[in-house]
Amino acid sequence: MKMRWVAIALAVIVAVSILFLFIYRREHYEGTLRITTTTSLYATGILDKLAEEFKQRHPNVSIQFIAVGSGEALRRAAQGDAEIVLSHAPNLEKQYLDDGTLKPGKIFAYNYFIIVGPGDDPAGIAGMDPVNAMAAIYAAGENGKAVFVSRADNSGTYARELVLWSLAGVNPLGKSWYLELGADMAQTLMVANEKEAYTLSDISTYLKFSSRLGELKSLVDKGDMLINVYSVYVVNPAKIIGVNEGLAETFVEFILSEEGQKIIDSYGITEFGKPLFKAAKGDLTGELKNAWENLAKFG
Amino acid sequence: MIELKLVSFAYVSEDVIRDVNLVFSPGVTAVVGPNGSGKTTLLKLAAVIYRPRVGEVLIDGVNPWSMSEKARASVRRDVVYVHEKPIMLRGSVADNVAYGLRVRNVPADEVVVKIEEALEALGIKHLAHEKAQTLSVGQQQKVALARALAVRPRNLLLDEPTANLDKSGRENFMELVKELRRKGVCIAVATHDRLLAMELMDRLVLVENRTTKFIKNP
Amino acid sequence: MWQEIAEVVTRSILISGTATLFAAFWSVPIAMMLTAKDSKFRVALLDVTNTLVGVPTVLVGLVLYLLFSRSGPLGFLGILYTPTSIVIGEAVLITPIIISLSALVLRETKAKVWEMAVSIGATERQASVTMVAESLPRLLMAILLGFNRAIGELGVALMLGGNIKGFTRVMTTAIALEVSKGEFELALTLGGILLLVTFTITAIVGKVGKVR
Repeated sequence: MKMRWVAIALAVIVAVSILFLFIYRREHYEGTLRITTTTSLYATGILDKLAEEFKQRHPNVSIQFIAVGSGEALRRAAQGDAEIVLSHAPNLEKQYLDDGTLKPGKIFAYNYFIIVGPGDDPAGIAGMDPVNAMAAIYAAGENGKAVFVSRADNSGTYARELVLWSLAGVNPLGKSWYLELGADMAQTLMVANEKEAYTLSDISTYLKFSSRLGELKSLVDKGDMLINVYSVYVVNPAKIIGVNEGLAETFVEFILSEEGQKIIDSYGITEFGKPLFKAAKGDLTGELKNAWENLAKFG
Repeated sequence: MIELKLVSFAYVSEDVIRDVNLVFSPGVTAVVGPNGSGKTTLLKLAAVIYRPRVGEVLIDGVNPWSMSEKARASVRRDVVYVHEKPIMLRGSVADNVAYGLRVRNVPADEVVVKIEEALEALGIKHLAHEKAQTLSVGQQQKVALARALAVRPRNLLLDEPTANLDKSGRENFMELVKELRRKGVCIAVATHDRLLAMELMDRLVLVENRTTKFIKNP
Repeated sequence: MWQEIAEVVTRSILISGTATLFAAFWSVPIAMMLTAKDSKFRVALLDVTNTLVGVPTVLVGLVLYLLFSRSGPLGFLGILYTPTSIVIGEAVLITPIIISLSALVLRETKAKVWEMAVSIGATERQASVTMVAESLPRLLMAILLGFNRAIGELGVALMLGGNIKGFTRVMTTAIALEVSKGEFELALTLGGILLLVTFTITAIVGKVGKVR
């Protein structure tokens, strides 16, 4: 009687394991490329689109995206858990480049951060330069007229927010009107909407959510310090063992290729009426590289 | 025959039975005493379910607690204890009655006969295929008794066996016990039922203040 | 889209099911061991287990992540971001809950069934078998609760699986992703499916447990 149960249990486990192995194998035919990426990039769907196109040329490759904040994406790759990182936080990327964990990368796309806030704009920042706008929000916050919600996580957006505060020469940390969420962009926007607060957002997440963000308007969307550059890095095989460098380089080449850049340039037009990203197209003027260098200085 | 020699027992730290000397010999021993006096504990000690803290329990002269587990199990097979609250296994009444026989590896055809006899003796043959756990407590008590009788133990310890029986069930039970007594079975009955005790017992054990008083000719 | 949802649902059931089978495989015997005799050590161990029932899933995920990461001590296995690592994580996660509930069930049957079995002449081994057989429907329920926790948890699946499309994406991580994408309707649909799946499995197991 007891033996029979053990036998049944064993049979079930073996059966399930075999099934599992089958499913597992199916995904693992030739090469697997693991890419850690910033969440805001992945959530737009553009990466799945790129991977889909890539797979039409390389059908035996399995591409796996792991979507986390930029800082986390960099850290995980540095731990050896991915071959490629997609990030938009130059000042965070810098340290991994300096210690050689990442090979020098390429900027493949850019767009702009925006400062969003309530429609009645109590701090009066509409149309301002981003640094002045942050200073104005600080002043309004101190006067009890404005609230700011911050990602306060390990993301590129948060890294940029801190850069903007420091350029404005103010420090909001610990203020009662400054709410540190520790949440992703989507949640942060929703909180900002509920609290009628200001926040910094990437344009793509804001556009995806705009239909749910009745109170929130894009108030500042121009200015050098709002440029949001997305870079692709391959993990340095000299530092981290087990990196599939050849495959990684092939994918990077594809993203930077004319075809890949075209996908980036047009993604989102059908859904939002305008593209979510601008392709870097080799950054011929060096303008993006300059912006990157400029941002990377903020340790 | 079951002997308790200077037996003490504690569930946690305080003795609930202390320095008990007692013999359950063939015939009926009634065990009486107030609630919580330790009647059940005493029977479970005698049934080799509880191990005494100190002292010895002898079943037909041997001490099961000094033996290997296997040997103890075979000694235990001569002693059957029936709980006050009937404990039913899943499955039918017949399955329940068969349990004691199955663990003894009695051949299947013999099991069938013995189940039949036991059910007949308790007057519950019609319940044989009912699910035991869905029966009333009174019926379950009869099943528990049938299960005990089916293995024909030489020592039978019954804890409040008539608590949930009606009048005819109780009379039937008394007939059964009398017959077992004629066969020389050693029976102990813990009960609150004075009339039952008066009618059946050959001797009396009074449990009070953690110890027992043995009265040979009540 | 529906095909992808079906895949995610199947994957969730397979991963959590395997994790539950493994967890049950060691948890029930451990529970039996812990309830076999009352000693201070075993009671203390059971207290520890009961406490671990409430361990945050992200914490389990984090510890195993550090273990499985390529730079971690078990990195050479290369199982991080695979279904295998989720299976391991969930199995670890639900071990305390299965032990704890099984111990509860076994302790109760032991007080009754075990004593009855022994008194009617079963050897200790036979009594143990009977005890487990009698507890089976409720042990099954304990295991099922483990499964329900596994299939409904997010932290382990996200940390160890990475929510990779077509590979380690399970229902909970898919829901989290859809929420972050602003696809609330899809997230709610997935949530409904998740509940429906767990409910169906619970009902089936409950039925099987009763019949046997």
